[in-house]
Amino acid sequence: MNWPDELNGKQVLITGGTGFIGGRLVEILKTDYDVNVRVLVSNMANVARIARFSVDMIKGDICNPEEVERAVDGCDYVFHCAYGNKGTQENRRRINIEGTRNILAASLNHNVKKVIYLSTIMVYGDTPNAEIDETAPRKFSGGVYSDTKIEAENLAFDYHTNKGLPVTILQPTAVYGPFAPVWSTNVIDKLKKGTVMLINKGEGLCNGVYIDDVVNAILLAAVNKDAEGKAFIISGNQPVSWKEFYSYYENMLGCSSTQDISEADATVYMARLRTRKSLLKVLREDKKMLSSLLETPFISNIRKAAMKILPQPVLFSINKKLKGNAHAQATAKKDSGINHKPLKPVHAISDADIQFFKTKAHFKIDKAKKVLGYEPRYNFEDGMKLTELWAEAANLLDKNPQHVK
Amino acid sequence: MQKIKLAIVGCGKVTETFHLPVADLSDEFDVIAVVDKHLPQARKLAEKYNIPLVEDDFKNIIGKVDAAVVALPHHLHGSVGLKLLQNGIHVLVEKPVALKLSECDKMINASQSLGKILSVGLLRRYYEASVFIKRMLDNKMLGNIISFDFREGHIFNWNSASDFMFRKFAGGGVLVDAGAHALDTLLWWLGDYEEVEYFDDAMGGVEANAEIHLFMKSGAKGMVELSRTRNLRNTYIINGDLGSLEVGLGVNPEIRLYTGSRDLHFSGQIIKNEMDKNNKAVFERQLSDFAKAIKNKKPPFITGTEGRRSVELIETCYAYKKVLKEPWLLNVKESL
Repeated sequence: MNWPDELNGKQVLITGGTGFIGGRLVEILKTDYDVNVRVLVSNMANVARIARFSVDMIKGDICNPEEVERAVDGCDYVFHCAYGNKGTQENRRRINIEGTRNILAASLNHNVKKVIYLSTIMVYGDTPNAEIDETAPRKFSGGVYSDTKIEAENLAFDYHTNKGLPVTILQPTAVYGPFAPVWSTNVIDKLKKGTVMLINKGEGLCNGVYIDDVVNAILLAAVNKDAEGKAFIISGNQPVSWKEFYSYYENMLGCSSTQDISEADATVYMARLRTRKSLLKVLREDKKMLSSLLETPFISNIRKAAMKILPQPVLFSINKKLKGNAHAQATAKKDSGINHKPLKPVHAISDADIQFFKTKAHFKIDKAKKVLGYEPRYNFEDGMKLTELWAEAANLLDKNPQHVK
Repeated sequence: MQKIKLAIVGCGKVTETFHLPVADLSDEFDVIAVVDKHLPQARKLAEKYNIPLVEDDFKNIIGKVDAAVVALPHHLHGSVGLKLLQNGIHVLVEKPVALKLSECDKMINASQSLGKILSVGLLRRYYEASVFIKRMLDNKMLGNIISFDFREGHIFNWNSASDFMFRKFAGGGVLVDAGAHALDTLLWWLGDYEEVEYFDDAMGGVEANAEIHLFMKSGAKGMVELSRTRNLRNTYIINGDLGSLEVGLGVNPEIRLYTGSRDLHFSGQIIKNEMDKNNKAVFERQLSDFAKAIKNKKPPFITGTEGRRSVELIETCYAYKKVLKEPWLLNVKESL
């Protein structure tokens, strides 16, 4: 693999440097390179991971043009990884679009050598069961994250085409690995706390990429002149089925917490769930009522009721599994004195989830290989081994959760 | 009886949340000054609590107050604390007493030679649960202590008013922060250490993760693991030859006691008159102890000499630091 040494001695700005991808980028730039790193930080409470290095952390709001100007001043490269991941939809929108506009404008003013914008394959919307490359159309889907990423990509292309700003867009697939909020931490958390439904036996394709491969692609793109004004899909070499993806985590946890459900059954389940939405809405908005409800014995009945709206075959299968687990747990209890909770609630899924998990689209990385010289280094097996080492150290696998509070 | 005139030096989060509200309600103290180099923050608090003096330099309160609470960034504890003591002001300083042992010693000397109180805000010693465990261990209720395992880590989200704790001048990272509490508790409960081996993950900045392996003079051995990026177990376990205990870290944690084997345990919380409901109650006890020490001219519950113990251990840790290996963090270039 080609590690671009041109970055040594350069000044870079990273937005989103306190997050997952930006955080690993900081680590690699400080451990494998000799790069002067500046990070634009919105909340100083999140800097623990990057504060381990000699990094220039400047507090600022990406939506404030003057603060962004100051952050970009003197930088050779800008890695724009920040995105709105909390607050209102309007706030997320503002960060993703206005924030990106500010970064692009400041980079133009300060003659930045290259801007790398971290987008996503979500810009391609619902994809057919086919091979997908960068020529596929961008589709608005109504989701703030993916729609604003399309708008931000358009801004970036515009700055390149009409103003000559050297910018490259990267579109990673599902990024997993140490500290990955969506595709590692949340997956582990969901499997621990409940049952995850796998659409169509989990035969849909998971296009995933290990975090260090994404960082490698970012660095390759930074120094590649031919990459200017282009977008690249960044993924691992081969996709795996979602079944396989989830089973890596189930194996880490030593549990079986997934349940097959057909697309048709899942759709029925969703429709039934929607009829109960008004109640859920009340509960969501009235946190006090929700928390007092959670403290009552009624909650277990509500959980049972939630199980009842599942389609019969799924319910049957879950019950069978629970009984099996209960037996195993009873034995374990006898052996160890440890008291397990027998009931694991089923995690709700949305219509968008059903679409997302059923597709067998295969995202191709030929363009990144050809133009950037990108070669994924981690297959799922290797990436998941490292993820497990991290998850174990991060106390996420809870082999013995029976500790005092 | 006349109240003790008190200044609060440093108006960050801990002052705003605890020191000021507690001191404001105290029968023993009269808060007459707040000091912060960031004047708007000091003014805001002064207005809220009706405090007459607002200063941006602590030297301006010399001669005007009897006592001061020092809640500044760690690196200022030593110099500010010393100056206040030298000018006849009793000091309650947040932990650590100072970053350097030499500064600690100067403060202790000043306190002793001038007869001024130096009390250290190692708050966890004031927890009833900590006192209970200290007595249990002193009374050998677990027998001889063989081993211990302290794990303390949270994904950091303390929205401090300033970011000093992540800067190099903070004097360190998680070790001087959460570690100061954990190590103080450990030394208080289990006595002095014989040998220490220390690992952390700082590479030019301040560490987010640390491991301290200790051999105690008593013969016990064990480790303390600290983190700002991982939610760890957050309990302390101590094993003796007659039994063991596990305790949580909160204000009024669960304590679990095991007999020789781990098949049976007894679990509960410490109750004394009324339980500590929150940290405010503990800050009250700390401030009240400070007042008592000043009035009776007796050593406070946590003296400078006691506070010095963990500072000495931390200084030794940093002096002999080894790199903490994170197995998932391959050096990507080297492993190619």
